[in-house]
Formats: sequence, structure tokens, C-alpha cells
Amino acid sequence: MAGPAVFRFALLLLLWFVVAGVTADGAAVGAAAALLASWASLHLMPPTRDWPRPAALARLLLRFPWQALRAGTEVALIALDPRRRPSPATIAWMPRLPPGGALDAFLAYASLLPGTLPAGEIADGAIAIHALDASTDIAAAMTMEEARFTHAFGLDA
Amino acid sequence: MTLLVDAFTILAVLAGLVFFIAGTTGLLRFPDTASRLHALTKADHLGLGLIVLGLLPRAAGIDGALRLLAIWGLVLLSSAAVGPMIARLARLRRPGE
Repeated sequence: MAGPAVFRFALLLLLWFVVAGVTADGAAVGAAAALLASWASLHLMPPTRDWPRPAALARLLLRFPWQALRAGTEVALIALDPRRRPSPATIAWMPRLPPGGALDAFLAYASLLPGTLPAGEIADGAIAIHALDASTDIAAAMTMEEARFTHAFGLDA
Repeated sequence: MTLLVDAFTILAVLAGLVFFIAGTTGLLRFPDTASRLHALTKADHLGLGLIVLGLLPRAAGIDGALRLLAIWGLVLLSSAAVGPMIARLARLRRPGE
């Protein structure tokens, strides 16, 4: 328990210094904030034995700016073109990941990807996915992204 | 060289502003709550990302650049956490949408 706690505290303190800068009086506030944040993170996301695969995780992260570009351009084109209207739809998608922290993390990540916005559980474990353009195969795309995410974070080990 | 960097900053920040305008237009035009969330999150994320990209060469040292990237990361993280929650609440309150 001590290992993950120290690791998370160190990362959060580092984030504090990156955002707030390294100053003597800021460090005490930063340490207190990092301590509270570590405590919350250990409660909300208990340590597991899953280890990310560095190469797959790097690919996922490097792909992200491209995804952000596609997602933003897609929405902007529909929003700025007066002749186009969005044709939104909500579809049911069955995740492979069991309910829990890993699935929630994937759904948060999926909300940043082009065209998809998870909108909670429907029934029997299916997740409602709001799509801005319902003409594409949203469920297949979600399943593919889920496989990438699961592999990168070592959740399928 | 300075001219090139200036041109890059101006172009990237202007492109970022276009995406912020697109996000706001989507917020006003789109028919339902979840579609408006698409506009507010995805277009604005790209807008902020482009503004950060444009400002990176002007950042004071590596710590300034990391700070800009951390701000983009924190905005992405918070909207990834909150977006699906608002979409879920909107779906439960107005099942028609």
C-alpha cells in the first residue's frame, strides 16, 4: 500500500510544481494538496496489479492529438456549415470490460474520441453512446478503441 | 527565424480561435444536450490545443512549456470526467433526446 501511495503523492506534487512553479511558500500548500489528492485517488482508484504496456501506451498517447484533430474538425464542420444539421442518435454498446474503474476510465477516454459521447448504463451492462453522426458504425469503433485501451493499460493480462 | 515563429504562433492561435467559435456555434445550434456537449468538448479541446501549440515556442523555458501542456491535459481530464456524467443525467431526465 505504501509504494503506490508514495508514487501517486510524488506524481501529484510534481504536477503541482509544473502548474504552480517551485516556490518555498507554495511547496507547503502543494504538499498538502498532493496529500489530499493521493488519499482521494487511493480511495477512488485502489492500486491494482495491472501494469501498462509502455509501447502500446505510447502509441495510444501519440495517436491522441490526431484523434483530437479529427474530433474537433468533425464537430466544427457540422457547427459552422449552415446547410448541415447534426443527425444525432443514441446507440446501445456492449463493453468487453467488466463494470468498474477500468470501464469508467475507458468511457471517459472515449468521450474525447471523434463522434462518441458515453451517456451512462442502459440495462444488462450495455452503455448508451451518443453519436453526433449516426451514419457510421459507432459500436464497432468503440469495441476497437476499447481493445487498444485495454491492451495499453495491461487490463487483458 | 523570429518571423517564422511569430507567423506560426499567429496562425495556430487564430486556428484555435476558429475552433472556439465553432464550439460556441455548436452550443447555440445543436438540437440536444449531448450534441451540445460534443461541440463544447471536442471543438474547444482542439481550439485550446492549437492555442497551446502556438504559444509553446514563446514559453519561457521548459517549465513554461510543461505548464501550458499541463493546462491542456487538465482541461481534457476534467471534461472527460464530467462530459459523460452530464450526458447521462440529460438522458435520464429527458429520455426523448
